[in-house]
Amino acid sequence: MRTNRRVLPGAGVAVFGPPAVTDHPLKIAQLRAWRVKEPDSNRRYTIVCLKSQGGASGYGEGGPATSTEIAEARLAVAGRLATDSEFIRAALHRLPALEAAVGNAMLDLVSRAKNIPIYQYLGGPVRHKARILAYLEGRTAAEAALSLERAQRQGFRAFTLTVPQRDAMIPLQAYVDLVRKHVADMQSKAGPSSEWVLDGDAAMTPGDAAAVAVALERIHPIWFDEPTAVVTQDGLAKIVEESVMPIGLGRRFTDIVGFQGLLASGSLHIVRPGLGLNSLTKIKRIAAIAETHYVAIAPFHDGGPIGAMAGIHLNASVLNAYAQQIPVPSSARAAAMRAEITSGLKEAGNEGFAALLNRPGLGFDVNEKALDAYSEERI
Amino acid sequence: MKRRQLLTALAGAGTLAGASRRRPALSSALVDCGCAPQIVTATDKPPGAAAFRDVGSKLRITNMQVFGVTLDERIAQADRPYVFVKLETNRGVVGWGEATLEGKAGAAMACVLDLKDLLIGSDPMQVEHLYQLMYLGSFYRGGPVLGSAISGIDQALWDIRGKVLNMPVYEMLGGPIDARGVRGYYHASAWTLAEARELRDKTKAAGVTALKFQLPDLLEWVETNAKIKRAVQHMEMLREGLGPDLDFAVDFHARPSPAVAATILREIEPLHLLFAEEICPPENPKAMARAVRHSTTPIATGERLIGSYGYADLIDMGVVDILQPDIAHVGGVTALWKVSAAAEASGIRMAPHACEGPIGGIASLHVDAAGPNFLAQEICGFVDAGEKGRVWEDLMGFPAMRMVDGRYTLPSKPGLGVDINEAALKRYPFQGTRPFVTAFHEDGAVASL
Repeated sequence: MRTNRRVLPGAGVAVFGPPAVTDHPLKIAQLRAWRVKEPDSNRRYTIVCLKSQGGASGYGEGGPATSTEIAEARLAVAGRLATDSEFIRAALHRLPALEAAVGNAMLDLVSRAKNIPIYQYLGGPVRHKARILAYLEGRTAAEAALSLERAQRQGFRAFTLTVPQRDAMIPLQAYVDLVRKHVADMQSKAGPSSEWVLDGDAAMTPGDAAAVAVALERIHPIWFDEPTAVVTQDGLAKIVEESVMPIGLGRRFTDIVGFQGLLASGSLHIVRPGLGLNSLTKIKRIAAIAETHYVAIAPFHDGGPIGAMAGIHLNASVLNAYAQQIPVPSSARAAAMRAEITSGLKEAGNEGFAALLNRPGLGFDVNEKALDAYSEERI
Repeated sequence: MKRRQLLTALAGAGTLAGASRRRPALSSALVDCGCAPQIVTATDKPPGAAAFRDVGSKLRITNMQVFGVTLDERIAQADRPYVFVKLETNRGVVGWGEATLEGKAGAAMACVLDLKDLLIGSDPMQVEHLYQLMYLGSFYRGGPVLGSAISGIDQALWDIRGKVLNMPVYEMLGGPIDARGVRGYYHASAWTLAEARELRDKTKAAGVTALKFQLPDLLEWVETNAKIKRAVQHMEMLREGLGPDLDFAVDFHARPSPAVAATILREIEPLHLLFAEEICPPENPKAMARAVRHSTTPIATGERLIGSYGYADLIDMGVVDILQPDIAHVGGVTALWKVSAAAEASGIRMAPHACEGPIGGIASLHVDAAGPNFLAQEICGFVDAGEKGRVWEDLMGFPAMRMVDGRYTLPSKPGLGVDINEAALKRYPFQGTRPFVTAFHEDGAVASL
């Protein structure tokens, strides 16, 4: 039940900002950005580097952004302290990719300045290793094989599996059988210890998604991700009322309110804010709401390695964080580029868990030469 | 072997024989419990800490003290001796927090000490983990006694974090939203129009912009015309005396039933209160929703709720406009921030309750300063600070929780920004628990006060 009480005007928006400072070691003195494009996979993302007056640097990643948007973000951070994260969250709320990139760069900068890892700044570790989930490329077992092999070599034990889209000529039962076979094929390739998330990629109708969920719930996928684009309470009710398979949603959401509504209606079981569209600061707020509904978060990520590693820090510091999704390219060139940016392969684990990097900030040096090499534009 | 690996191994074994082989590692108090295999790591001191050896800081909690502080009952309400918590570390950094619980001081102090084994030897930088260890690890979740104990310890942990990182707590939370400070209000009473006018002048002269009053009577589950009219006329008199510019709220203190509250709320709408507080008892959000659905007066509640879980229904149902967690009960900085984050997403503002001592009040300011949805901070004090103001200055070394131009200024020192004068604490020795004041109706039945 939701009453018709009115929403107070202005709530949720910072109406008064702290005054810009003139002299402080944490004052943001410079914003640089790279618009990066991955070879072969063609993933695009934005890397922001903030430098403070005291000489500390911090890196953050967001989704694709235009040079105009980056210029707007530069204006917003001018004269601000790297600790003014609530002000920046409000100031950049219409530029979600940059809210994520700048917000995370601020966290990295402050953590490096204070000589602690980001997870320590976010409230300290609640776990000593973080569960990782490989986001595989490819829609068929054959297409995903390269990506799966690489992920297994990198220590992943849990994988996403993008389910085939339904051709309009295929009867529903035949489609369900096709999905079931696809899952079985991948399980047989990955071995019995593998765990799976079904990725609907928002391509199913609620009815088709419900049929798939009911048919596959006894093989216990960890959850059914983004089964449909119909993220209304009624649309999702069709799925959650017919099946007990947990539903993950939210990769395209850019505001907290969207999650709050679905949580209140009981329509989702794993909250999936995208790391390219939401800063760790914002996701921590979403996690606090989800916690009161006994719901886990598992941030979605289809971006670069700096974003993925920031997600590991969040996972380490939030109790109801279940896993961090990390894209695993099928292309060797894309994989090499990701490792190059982080000064060596960091997106890896052991038996399905990534170790926490107990070094300041993100815990590794960002290779700016690699960013330059793979950028469409440096701003 | 790491804890998770150990648990995995145990889960894999899953046989009675397997459990039997591990028996020597078990605490003797738990051998007859069905969950014994899962608690093998109880031998770990403090529990679970070994798993974080490689990822935490080198800081360790070495000691915890709890202080009861009783003020003369002519200065402060006798039911709430202050309960202060002090954490000490191996690096000499100390943290302070407040676990004051009205009417249950002894229980709160004992509960703080009950949690000592979870804390000594642990890393104080793991504030979220330690919060969860105390909350989830206590098995029986929530309740005001545990909530207050966790609150005091959590505040002290945040104090240490801030001191170690050389930052005020509000900066670690992403603030300040407004560097001028946070808006506050004092308590007040006026029973005649002349008193209200005098109060208006004194309040404006002090730069204060908001006050809070109580209802004139206790109220029963069904009320008479006489009492309802007296309540309404009292508020009308206050508005007339205070004038149109001074904001004021009225605390119903959960005295009315939802039906009585709905009647009063309907008639006071033209007075444009800052908010009406605890218009009926807090346990049943659906009942509260029935009372408020015809009113446009902002509704506030939440001082008696514990943990962020306690607010989920109120937020999801959109029953209220303002939430009022108390940082000395809800679960400290950690829980107050979580409630604030959830409230923000639903367009609900925050006006945290604080009717205990000065540490909790100051700790609350830090969360207020980092919340975009913050409205106003309470403190149990009057425009004229009186003798209590002098005692707080004695304890804290400065006139704590006094507004300047209608705002509490933000501490600039690291952590919570407080230094407790331990010598001064001895001047106000703990005199034991005093029960919360009780009230009775004309027929002898217990009243909600």
